Amino acid sequence: MAETLEPDPSAIGGVPKAPFVFLPDPVAVFQSRARRFGFLARSSRLGPYLAFLGDLSALQARLAVTLPSPAPLPPGRGGGMPVIDRALLLDDPALHDTLAALCEGAAGLDMPEPARLALEAVSQVGAEDRRWLLGNILADTIPEDGAAAHLFAAAAVQVHLARLAARLAPEALAPVGTGTCPACGGLPVSSTVMATPGIENVRYAACSGCATQWNEVRVKCLCCGSTKGIGYHSAETHEASVKAETCAECGSWLKIFHRTKNHSLDPVADDVGSLGLDLMMRDTGLRRGGFHPFLAGY
Amino acid sequence: MTIDLSRRGFLALAGTGVATTTLGAMGFGAAEAAEAAHVRPFKLVATTETRNICTYCSVACGIIMYSKGDLAAGETAELLHIEGDADHPTNRGTLCPKGAALKDYVRAETRLTRPRYRAPGADRFQDIGWDEALDKIARALKDDRDANLIEKNDKGTTVNRWTTTGYLAASATTNETAWLTYKTVRAMGIVGFDNQARV
Repeated sequence: MAETLEPDPSAIGGVPKAPFVFLPDPVAVFQSRARRFGFLARSSRLGPYLAFLGDLSALQARLAVTLPSPAPLPPGRGGGMPVIDRALLLDDPALHDTLAALCEGAAGLDMPEPARLALEAVSQVGAEDRRWLLGNILADTIPEDGAAAHLFAAAAVQVHLARLAARLAPEALAPVGTGTCPACGGLPVSSTVMATPGIENVRYAACSGCATQWNEVRVKCLCCGSTKGIGYHSAETHEASVKAETCAECGSWLKIFHRTKNHSLDPVADDVGSLGLDLMMRDTGLRRGGFHPFLAGY
Repeated sequence: MTIDLSRRGFLALAGTGVATTTLGAMGFGAAEAAEAAHVRPFKLVATTETRNICTYCSVACGIIMYSKGDLAAGETAELLHIEGDADHPTNRGTLCPKGAALKDYVRAETRLTRPRYRAPGADRFQDIGWDEALDKIARALKDDRDANLIEKNDKGTTVNRWTTTGYLAASATTNETAWLTYKTVRAMGIVGFDNQARV
């Protein structure tokens, strides 16, 4: 034989340690999200909304390519704070330019009349109101009667934050606190039990702003950090790939996706696609935690 | 929430009014209503995930036990599945073949759940109470120790060895339990003693 077979103990030499964070590749994140929205739209009663969000995600991917690179971040803040200082972004001209570009691009998308009215209002808004819109999203809040306008502002903030987070060094990030993004300090949109070899059954929370995914211990409330009183609710079956992780201590819940059961689940697209679970959870009296600008009001 | 006039004007321009959800505000209310109608007949089911330690050996791998029913809401739970706890530093989600079969032991029809006794010469076990069982064990230990305790060796040195009884203790114990077990067993002079399963 020409080749000598060598033993390879690395294949059985222990289990790898799960990385703390996965920083976003903005183009890949928005493109795969767009594809997932498109796929879900084909078979869902929410089809029109999912198709619209698919178009919006594709636009976000295009902007991540075409917009000029954001200026480098100031050196790390330290002190156990997230690396990106959201308060500074409020007056970052690049963020305002991103919103303007997003409004311009979104004008070409297919959407119902109320959505178009909101888009036009955001497009023509004055500097002070634009600052107000962006400030709300950067603070992870959406006023009760402003959901439509804030959706477009949030889409722009997502593009900008993801591009900033993409340039961070993973080793520079440290846990900030349960349910808080170590990159930008945002709230999670949902969490996912992974199926990728090496990190099977490990849970990662996905940031609603910058799309960073960070490791969170399972069976723990991402809203208050409690490990007591955690339950899982799902529609009809215990084998569901989408469940609501509920916390009896703080009375809130957040969706958890099991990629071990469905490899295609996306933290954002499937959160919208499984709106039925939100509707069912309304009767439990629990509050939806985290932050999802595409699903305000649940 | 307070909104100043310019904000109100802006929001009015944005066509927003009473709609409280994003779908309603964006004009997708029909899709939202269709989804609501679709899920109406469905029922929510509750699953509990509980952290525990594998009972098998002193490696003490972390496990997550899935059960039906919401323990937090006071319901009873029925075990559905057990898997390695990926967050646990000892095993990072892996389990050995024994640990991977834990669910079958928990749910085995032959699982020992109460004290049982097989009388000398009998061909089957019979149920007995805890008090009765502990009394029988204590009696047997005492009789054996009285008959076989070696108090001194050949040179006349006091050794207090009890070699005719062995003691096999659990592995899934706390340090405190293990310390107490050790002290109790050694105090009686028992030599053959194992406080954990062999790995």
